[in-house]
Amino acid sequence: MAESTSPVDALLKGSSGRSARGLLRIIILVTIAAAAVSSRLFSVIRFESIIHEFDPWFNFRATKYLIQNGFYDFWDWFDDRTWHPLGRVTGGTLYPGLMVTSGVIYHILRFLTIPVDIRNICVLLAPAFSGLTAFAMYLLTNEMSSSPSAGLLAAAFMAITPGYISRSVAGSYDNEAIAIFLLVFTFFLWIKAVKNGSIMWGALAALFYGYMVSAWGGYVFITNLIPLHVFVLICMGRYSSRVYISYTTWYALGTLASMQIPFVGFLPIRNSDHMSALGIFGLIQLVAFADFVRGFLPGKQFQRLLTASIILTSGLAFVGLIVLTMSGVIAPWSGRFYSLWDTGYAKIHIPIIASVSEHQPTAWPSFFFDLNFLIWLFPAGVYMCFRDLKDEHVFVIIYSVLASYFAGVMVRLMLTLTPIVCVAAALVLSYILDTYLKTSPGPINRGRSSEDPSSEALRSARTPEVGISSYFSKAVTTSATIVYLLLFVAHCTWVTSNAYSSPSVVLASRMPDGSQFIIDDYREAYYWLRQNTPANAKIMSWWDYGYQIGGMADRPTLVDNNTWNNTHIATVGKAMSSREEVSYPILRQHDVDYVLVVFGGLLGYSGDDINKFLWMVRIAEGIWPDQVKERDFFTSRGEYRVDDQATPAMRNSLMYKMSYHNFNKLFPMGQATDRVRGTKLPSESPQLSTLDEAFTSENWIIRIYKVKDLDNLGRDHSNAVAFDHGNKRKKTTKKKGPRVLRSE
Amino acid sequence: MRWCPSLLLFGFLAAVNALSSSGNRLLVVLEDAEEKGSYSTLWGDLEGRGYNLIFESPKNEQLSLFELGDRAYDHILLLPPKSKGFGPSLSPKNLVDFMNSDGNVLLALSGKSTTPSAISSLLLEFDLHLSTDRSSVVVDHFNYDTLSASDKHDVLLLPRPGSLRPDTKNFFGGEGVLAFPSANPHTLGDNSLLAPILRAPTTAYSYNPKEDSNSVEEVFATGSQLALVSAMQARNSARFTLLGSVESLQDKWFSATVKAPGGNQAETANRDFAKQLTAWTFKETGVLKVGKIEHHLAKDDITVEDLNPSIYRIKNETVFSIEVSEYNYDRFIPFTVPTNDALQLEFTMLSPFHRLTLHPTATTANSTIYNTAFTVPDQHGIFSFRVNYKRPFLTYLEEKHEVTVRHYAHNEYPRSWKISGGWVWIAGLWSVVGGFLAFVFVWLYSVPASSVAKGKSKKMQ
Repeated sequence: MAESTSPVDALLKGSSGRSARGLLRIIILVTIAAAAVSSRLFSVIRFESIIHEFDPWFNFRATKYLIQNGFYDFWDWFDDRTWHPLGRVTGGTLYPGLMVTSGVIYHILRFLTIPVDIRNICVLLAPAFSGLTAFAMYLLTNEMSSSPSAGLLAAAFMAITPGYISRSVAGSYDNEAIAIFLLVFTFFLWIKAVKNGSIMWGALAALFYGYMVSAWGGYVFITNLIPLHVFVLICMGRYSSRVYISYTTWYALGTLASMQIPFVGFLPIRNSDHMSALGIFGLIQLVAFADFVRGFLPGKQFQRLLTASIILTSGLAFVGLIVLTMSGVIAPWSGRFYSLWDTGYAKIHIPIIASVSEHQPTAWPSFFFDLNFLIWLFPAGVYMCFRDLKDEHVFVIIYSVLASYFAGVMVRLMLTLTPIVCVAAALVLSYILDTYLKTSPGPINRGRSSEDPSSEALRSARTPEVGISSYFSKAVTTSATIVYLLLFVAHCTWVTSNAYSSPSVVLASRMPDGSQFIIDDYREAYYWLRQNTPANAKIMSWWDYGYQIGGMADRPTLVDNNTWNNTHIATVGKAMSSREEVSYPILRQHDVDYVLVVFGGLLGYSGDDINKFLWMVRIAEGIWPDQVKERDFFTSRGEYRVDDQATPAMRNSLMYKMSYHNFNKLFPMGQATDRVRGTKLPSESPQLSTLDEAFTSENWIIRIYKVKDLDNLGRDHSNAVAFDHGNKRKKTTKKKGPRVLRSE
Repeated sequence: MRWCPSLLLFGFLAAVNALSSSGNRLLVVLEDAEEKGSYSTLWGDLEGRGYNLIFESPKNEQLSLFELGDRAYDHILLLPPKSKGFGPSLSPKNLVDFMNSDGNVLLALSGKSTTPSAISSLLLEFDLHLSTDRSSVVVDHFNYDTLSASDKHDVLLLPRPGSLRPDTKNFFGGEGVLAFPSANPHTLGDNSLLAPILRAPTTAYSYNPKEDSNSVEEVFATGSQLALVSAMQARNSARFTLLGSVESLQDKWFSATVKAPGGNQAETANRDFAKQLTAWTFKETGVLKVGKIEHHLAKDDITVEDLNPSIYRIKNETVFSIEVSEYNYDRFIPFTVPTNDALQLEFTMLSPFHRLTLHPTATTANSTIYNTAFTVPDQHGIFSFRVNYKRPFLTYLEEKHEVTVRHYAHNEYPRSWKISGGWVWIAGLWSVVGGFLAFVFVWLYSVPASSVAKGKSKKMQ
């Protein structure tokens, strides 16, 4: 046993040399990983092993394609079932890391003759990787602190903190599932490289950076954070060959690795987002050269030379950057980038970005909701880093500052904040525990300090804490900490179970008697499409449901959650928000066979299309400002209404008609009520003439309409419908103006 | 010898079915059985062409156009009713449903009786307009039959119609003069599915004989805006023909002698025209059929697997061919596009990227094969080959075949040496490799300068 643990011991930096300590550590880490995995299984246990939400459905579909057709076909995949009729060069516009990871796992399991359904691999990938994330967190935090408990605490925090669980529950098969592990692990390798000045660690960091690039667009965070770290180090006068070696190795190899991903391609040398890494790469060469020259020149001359050359080169670089950006060689900053700095930018310029709920600014309570007591330990941890300011602590500080800002701007970036909060909180908590639990500097501590010369400062800081010997204060502090930790666990479990474990494909609600009521309308409707429509029937819906239709109903869609083409989305928005006479030619032109709307009015499901409708109008208005006007959908008093006070534009829009078509027949005369908007509806149902109702799900959440063909006799649809209802057409005898003669 | 009758029956059926391309069950709606005799030549001609005539009175309650949801007849010939309408089984809705399920209708009106309002409203659905009083006749003081209508001038004499436009086929042409007694005129709205077959002469006008006034106050329409015979072809190519003068189908006018003012006596060509009109309406003429459609990459040896692929790549050379036949009375013949017209292929995504004329390349016994070749545009997406050939009097060709046009795969780009712009970098690469090798060579084989250096190196070790 002792023999088997000793190599792992070395890996875990078990400084005691005693195998029991190392073994304990392994057991603790395994337990943490188990806790991480099991706390993410609520949704599988409550519902079933199902892919969640929206984006995961695309990833799942892509994974299935990868497994069926092999890697090269996946690489060259032209998807003709999305973005009809444009199609999508999917193989070149996705981050393949996630799918390839699942594919590799699938094939390994098959090779080991363990046939596992690919769906289960996809569902359970995120929990599995969360265990690895906890381990990577342990390694990263161990680099920051000499305390043996800091790493374990950080691993435990990372394992169960809701900020990370929100994106990694079982079934949440999204890029973030593996990306957070890669993020943490890359940072660990980078810290290792900077500490050791080692090409090997630098190359490993580059390797994992490459993996990260293949997995998530958030790699840009690393691309900018590491150069910033280096830049700050240089500015602090901490330039050393360690920094030079690790950075140049990482940058050269990492950039080459990232350029292998087709979606990234030449971005690292053409996009502004990547320019800081390139700039720092140039700067560090200059600094290295200056360092080299300093060896030969007297101090005064060197100072002058340095000042002059810094001014000159930075001026040249700046001018060059401006010229290249103006001439278009370097792509200008993307809209998502601007919206990071100006939270109002997206709403004005790119409504499509603003319409995504996870791009909204974070509400303050959600910091506590997602991180609990870690959020108030976080500043203390950052302060601790200042006390003991080594290269890696600088990294923590920079990371904290940047990630805090970004997390405040966009909800989804809470995810990048979580790891550093865990690190900082673990530093603080381990410091508190070390201070209060250890009565005397034991032999272990001494041995460690003699081993590790860098903890010199720490020992001096620790001198006073040796004096705490009062059992009362010890008891109070430790019990308070334990209470906090227990509360944290309770909070995390509660949040995970209540907020983050719903697949959102299947909804659960409570009946008045407390029993569970499962609302499975989405799958009911998608399955109807799968069973009752031709295999290439084109479905138009708002883009939110594109991936789900593609994944569950296996039908081509016009737009989906990969919102790359704003105009195409605006076209759908225009079709939804215009009169039937305007919409019908659009539907015909795009070969639409069925239109799908989500309607929550019967059940009180607030995430329905009428509530999203204003975004459709805004996005359409962005492209056709003279044809679709947001103002027309508000009453003169500025209200957004759906009842008899609704504006004509609202009442005649295709979306309104489809949502409320025949809705009043469910109620007694004049009693029709929309339970989301909480209003009485007009007593007459809107009349649709170009669409036929094809399907309405059990709770009316999904309504599917079939687009009529052109009238056989060449009439307007409204005339044809009137004829079918038995109304005789009025003869238009008296026309004003001269008679129109017919000529062939 | 048992098979003999069945063979005979088979041959008979084949002969019968060969006549109309869409069935031979013809319902003739005739209110007055006594009138049947005055059209005997028409019935004889129709039966001679293989139709199975079923005479029904609109008053018959049992009459139904549909049986178990299917059409009970293939064609309907409606003669003008004496009473207020055709009754419930021939309501406008039923007739429209009949046409929606590919049935053809020939409706004959007469200026002698008031047209029922149900028919008028049916015609309105087709955008055909009758005069408001619904009992007008066309009168022409320059082209009338001096022998029979010297007084009323309501028997029009017309030449056989020419082709509608220079680029359309003429199915109703020929020699002779047509006589149209007491024709009920109509005008055409701007429905693009309508086409006039026979227009009134420019000097004609519509007149209600029941009005007492000597002059016409408000004319419904005049001249060639008045149509006497019009055709409507629905999108499913079901045909509806409106004939203004039912009398022109009578035996009397099939072989009458007429004389225009200042002209010579002549035999009417009504019988010939009636044949053309019924043949066209009941789909004996002007019916197009698409045979096989093939598209494939432009290469020499095409196997079956290469035909009609579902995916192309941008900039592929592609060949498209379509086989078209035309039905002519009893068989399919090769279809030839009228001069001045062209059969076109569109390669479309949202809008056509190519619109190319299809050229006839081969002819079989009963079809022509049209063909064109083009380069797939440099735009990936879901395209469709479309042939949209909609001409008056010809059934519509609307073919749409979806194909995917993909981008270049990663291994289809030119690489390395083939890119002339990359020669600089390739030269750079190899010069570095060469330089390094040369350096290593020089380094390894250069003799150490002196023993002092040796000593130094030893020290360093």
